[in-house]
Amino acid sequence: MTRSPLVIIGGGPAGMAAAIEAARAGLSCALIDEAPGFGGQIYRQIPEAFSVRDASALGKDYRRGEALRAELREHSERVTILPHTTVLGLSPDREIVWAREETAGVIRADQLILATGAHERSVPFPGWTLPGVMTAGGAQRLIKTMQVRPGRRAVVAGTGPLPLVVANQLRTVGTEVVAVLEAGRHPWWPRFLVRAWGEWSILKDAFDYWLGLRRAGIPLRFNHTVFQARGNSSVEAVTYGPIDPATWSPIRERAQQVEVDLVVVGFGLVPNVELTQLAGCDHRYVHEVGGWVPVRTPQMETTVSGVFAAGDGAGVRGALVAIAEGRIAGITAAERAGLLSQAEAHRRRAPFIARLKALLRVRAVLDEMSRLRPGLDELATPETIICRCEEVALAEVEAAIEQGARDLQAVKLFTRLGMGSCQGGNCAPAIGPYICRATGRTPEQVGRINPRLPVKPVTLGALAGMAEIGDGAGDPRGAISGELVP
Amino acid sequence: MKSSDIVVVGGGVIGCAVAYYAAKRGLQVTLIDQPKRGRATSASAGGLWPLGESIGLGCGVIFYKAQLAKGIVPEGADGPAQLPRSFLDFAMQSNAMFPTLTEELRETGGLDIELERTSLLYLIYDEADEAFARPLWRNCPCGRSLSEWLTPEELARAEPAVTRNVRGALRFNGDDQVNPYRLADAYRAAARALGAELLPYTEVTNVRVEKGRVVAVETAAQRIRCDVVVNAAGAWAPQIARMVGIDLPVQPVRGQIIGTETLPDVLSSCLSTTDCYLAQKRHGEIIIGSTTEEVGFDVGVTRSGIKTLAAGAIRALPFLKQVNVKRVWAGLRPGTPDELPVLGPIESVTGYYNACGHFRTGILNSPLTGLLLAELLSGAPLSFPIEPFLLSRLAPMVPVERLSNHPPQPNRSHAVANGEPS
Repeated sequence: MTRSPLVIIGGGPAGMAAAIEAARAGLSCALIDEAPGFGGQIYRQIPEAFSVRDASALGKDYRRGEALRAELREHSERVTILPHTTVLGLSPDREIVWAREETAGVIRADQLILATGAHERSVPFPGWTLPGVMTAGGAQRLIKTMQVRPGRRAVVAGTGPLPLVVANQLRTVGTEVVAVLEAGRHPWWPRFLVRAWGEWSILKDAFDYWLGLRRAGIPLRFNHTVFQARGNSSVEAVTYGPIDPATWSPIRERAQQVEVDLVVVGFGLVPNVELTQLAGCDHRYVHEVGGWVPVRTPQMETTVSGVFAAGDGAGVRGALVAIAEGRIAGITAAERAGLLSQAEAHRRRAPFIARLKALLRVRAVLDEMSRLRPGLDELATPETIICRCEEVALAEVEAAIEQGARDLQAVKLFTRLGMGSCQGGNCAPAIGPYICRATGRTPEQVGRINPRLPVKPVTLGALAGMAEIGDGAGDPRGAISGELVP
Repeated sequence: MKSSDIVVVGGGVIGCAVAYYAAKRGLQVTLIDQPKRGRATSASAGGLWPLGESIGLGCGVIFYKAQLAKGIVPEGADGPAQLPRSFLDFAMQSNAMFPTLTEELRETGGLDIELERTSLLYLIYDEADEAFARPLWRNCPCGRSLSEWLTPEELARAEPAVTRNVRGALRFNGDDQVNPYRLADAYRAAARALGAELLPYTEVTNVRVEKGRVVAVETAAQRIRCDVVVNAAGAWAPQIARMVGIDLPVQPVRGQIIGTETLPDVLSSCLSTTDCYLAQKRHGEIIIGSTTEEVGFDVGVTRSGIKTLAAGAIRALPFLKQVNVKRVWAGLRPGTPDELPVLGPIESVTGYYNACGHFRTGILNSPLTGLLLAELLSGAPLSFPIEPFLLSRLAPMVPVERLSNHPPQPNRSHAVANGEPS
């Protein structure tokens, strides 16, 4: 297969929902994900090596994921599942370069839905590169897919719901959680309740997480965060304390230190926009949803005709929003392919558009609560590493700005920041806003680091063997027939 | 209004070298730099291969093979073009400056340019490669002392990671490597330590010429009075030349490069093959280059470019198959019609100097370029004859429409500030 009427990149909630709706309308599609199973980060599948004895113990996200996978299975005759497949790049004419282990090839898609999700935001602070400091998602992955206890004694810091979720999960695997530090303020104020009215699932989720901590006697400290992780070869202690409620500037004189071997950090997510960038889509900067996001129509189409974006990759708003957006994108793609009349497509989209409206009302409040404030910049010292790939410290970035660097590209040329394998995916979201504040310029002026093929790690062997369209080789379905059923 | 003896335009390796050598001679230098995406200094592998480059190894032989594959054979050619003796001599002399330069830059600017004695190995895969390599070995332009023919057994002992599927290799001693980014940084730091002023992130908007003499360089923010401007703007040099009314035949020539993840020391030499070249840098990554493409200022990377380089690299070093790519990028070499740099003064405008068109040997030829320009500008005897590199060797100069408001002054001799070099 080197051509497909619809390719969906990303098998998380948005991608699965898009595939379901496209297939339901009769449009065949290929669903690509780099993981062995589908569900994305949030609805991650349990590896087959583990048997699930009690699904309820795995939490409601697992159950929601199972429900979506079951729905997808009903449409399996029209959905070609390509797990374990990494997308290395794509061109504005919708040619997708994929790789799996030692093979790589190209698919041309008539239409493309990018449901690439988000990655965790790095907030550099002294000691953040020590072993024993990990992201909330990293800790979650150890627990969920590897059944590993990430540490004995932990502090969890960050903002938004993920730190709460992880703190509860840590507790269940026997990690002692000393405290959960939420940088934002207490959410239980009337405006939140009014806005969230009717969205019981979100309210109940938040309440459940909070109740879990309460029952376990884990203190939840608002307007607090981590200041520094200490240790020789790994974390031995962490310093934390209060921050200014308005600016999030650390109040260092009230810092305290506790001995821990694990620091879990979750400061929200950053949309994965490498592929929308390579596709040539216009982007804009929206701080509340994670930074740079593709510009879209209400039908989820980007500024490049035939290229759609849905889910956290187009702005971080959580799994429920992602599902609604994915469904809308899938329906619109089917309409474009001539399989649904305009009226029918409109009718099918309507409930999801209504659902989106309700969800976004709640999200707006949550976003406001955990919107990152500039005081977090003050955590890093000149010696703190900003770009882990190339080991660039904050002092080097400051020197570049001092000498006249005014945008990310210039800082990159000067310091080599962002020249590692993550192509700036980790450091740019932290250092971009920093450059804005240091130079008094807007995110648009400071710009972005341009992604290049390959956007994901790949071996030279796979690149050397890359099959072009028309080579008569390079069918991505090859060698994975046993795994086709999600 | 600011003033300076000399304004150097372009902060790549050449501009920084000129600034360094000029400052070293006590000249007052201002270096104006607007970093551009795709500047060649940032896309160099850092090979110092005077012999290899002169006889068509490195990118030359890769390009020749690619042309053959497309059915384009340059007339009368049975291998990549060899560059004239003047180029080889220039490159050899420049290369010989590196050991001293390394020490100088460390002392003056505090940076190590990571000079490594690697030698360059040309891998001989097949009969055609051998037919190309034999005469090079027999009639090596600088004698047999610097080259060495390795049997497959000798090669396997010297470079165990290299494929055994070879007929041998030709080694060029004295063809070594540096870290190209560090070299530019070190020149810059040393120039500043010697009093040069740096205007980073500044675009030159005009070069003012009055009565046939350079009088000032203008940026968006200011005008800098000067008698001399040195055009070291790499692939963008024609834009600066146009400001003084001359047409510079310099074209961007894209080269794509792959950098691998960091690896243990597996390669002690640099390798040149008909598919690619490979150089392991001090930090462990292997740089794999490079394509030769005329696609304007497009700094994108292409599937076919990456694929060819990756396959060529695996052919030379089979273990690379399992190695991850760290990054793929591209740079724009400043190419000239005869592949030689364009150096020195021009007929029509006094005080304008070229230091550009270094194509794929800017790193290697930066020390002698910097030294020569500094000698020209201070009226000292020249360490190397400039004539083969003057712009006038190329097509007769065609005045283009000027951007400044003064007409060109043709036939005016290029009197150098402190006397004409002989």
